[in-house]
Amino acid sequence: MTEFLKGNYELTVKIEEPADEAETSATEEFEKKALSRLCASNCVVRKKVFLRNAATPEK
Amino acid sequence: MELGRRIASRLTEATFERVAAVGLANAERNQRVIRHSILELAEASLGEGNSAVVVAAGPSLHRRRSLERLKASAFTGTIVAVDGALGACLRHGVTPHVVVTVDPHAERIVRWFGDPMLVAPPRDDYFRRQEMDPAHAHDEIMANRVLIELVDRCGPGMKVAIATSAAPAVVDRCEKAGMTLYWWNPMYDDYDRPGSLSRRLHAMNGLPCLNGGGNVGTAAWVVTHAVLGKTRVGLLGMDFGYVPGTPYARTQYYPELRELLGDGFAEAFIHVENPFVSETWLTDPAYYWFRDVFLEMAGAAGCETFNCTEGGILFGANVPMAALETFVAGGGRP
Repeated sequence: MTEFLKGNYELTVKIEEPADEAETSATEEFEKKALSRLCASNCVVRKKVFLRNAATPEK
Repeated sequence: MELGRRIASRLTEATFERVAAVGLANAERNQRVIRHSILELAEASLGEGNSAVVVAAGPSLHRRRSLERLKASAFTGTIVAVDGALGACLRHGVTPHVVVTVDPHAERIVRWFGDPMLVAPPRDDYFRRQEMDPAHAHDEIMANRVLIELVDRCGPGMKVAIATSAAPAVVDRCEKAGMTLYWWNPMYDDYDRPGSLSRRLHAMNGLPCLNGGGNVGTAAWVVTHAVLGKTRVGLLGMDFGYVPGTPYARTQYYPELRELLGDGFAEAFIHVENPFVSETWLTDPAYYWFRDVFLEMAGAAGCETFNCTEGGILFGANVPMAALETFVAGGGRP
């Protein structure tokens, strides 16, 4: 709870405050941005295939 | 899990987000200049026999004098080089049969072919900081000028296996140097999935999709065995790591790791003991990931792969290490 909203009485229960979602989101956004620069020059497809040339129908 | 390995596990998605949009935009731009498919390279005369050497641009290439030794070995097989190793090859009198390029970066990659537009050292310190071609670290402008001359002189005898993701500046430079361009699509996702981006790209330009394994070195190895059909492949300069004692600030992804992790950036680096040279090499999450992917792919490849780098972190059951001379003489099996 912020100082601004504090009342002039004491609570008998402990209130669990939710995590600061905005702050988490900013951190995730930063990590995503930094990770996107720490990446490869071409995609990795973790499948044991090297070359595909035929247009196979959609499964 | 160590921090470095944890970061590595998140890179697949991050890479797709970075390279897919720009790679596909470049593929559309490049469509008007596509004349040859990479599959035509299978019919070309590119060295003798079934052996090939893939030259990557890791620090061992210079440290082990691999190019001088390759030249002295009178190797008659096929030589495939990554774009970053082209300058070193030409300076040592080794003209690769094929040069492979894939990275869609708009400004950096053209430097590996000599950038005619470079007149002053750029703000981007990538070439001064990196370990791939020390010539660029000493005097960027002079190194670039020499490279332009070498590529212009040798270009007409070289073929480029160029990904449709390549930046227009790279395409233009290769064409003007007289190189012949053979095109392929990088595989962006599982080709067999419904709505696959890779398959849509194939439908657009008719070119084969190649699984490049995340980096140009792995892509060059895939070209060598899956397109050229080589059954014995030796690797040079394929370190996926940094020489013991390399300062963190001189590693390729230092600025990104510093930004991501602050003062704790050093925790992301991984140390790997190389038993062939009895050295402990330093690597970062991206290179470690490339190593994992390569070893996985090597198990399914229709070729024998020998790592003749004599350094680095790439070794395993499917990738034994061997001295270059042993490989050239036909040996190398453990």
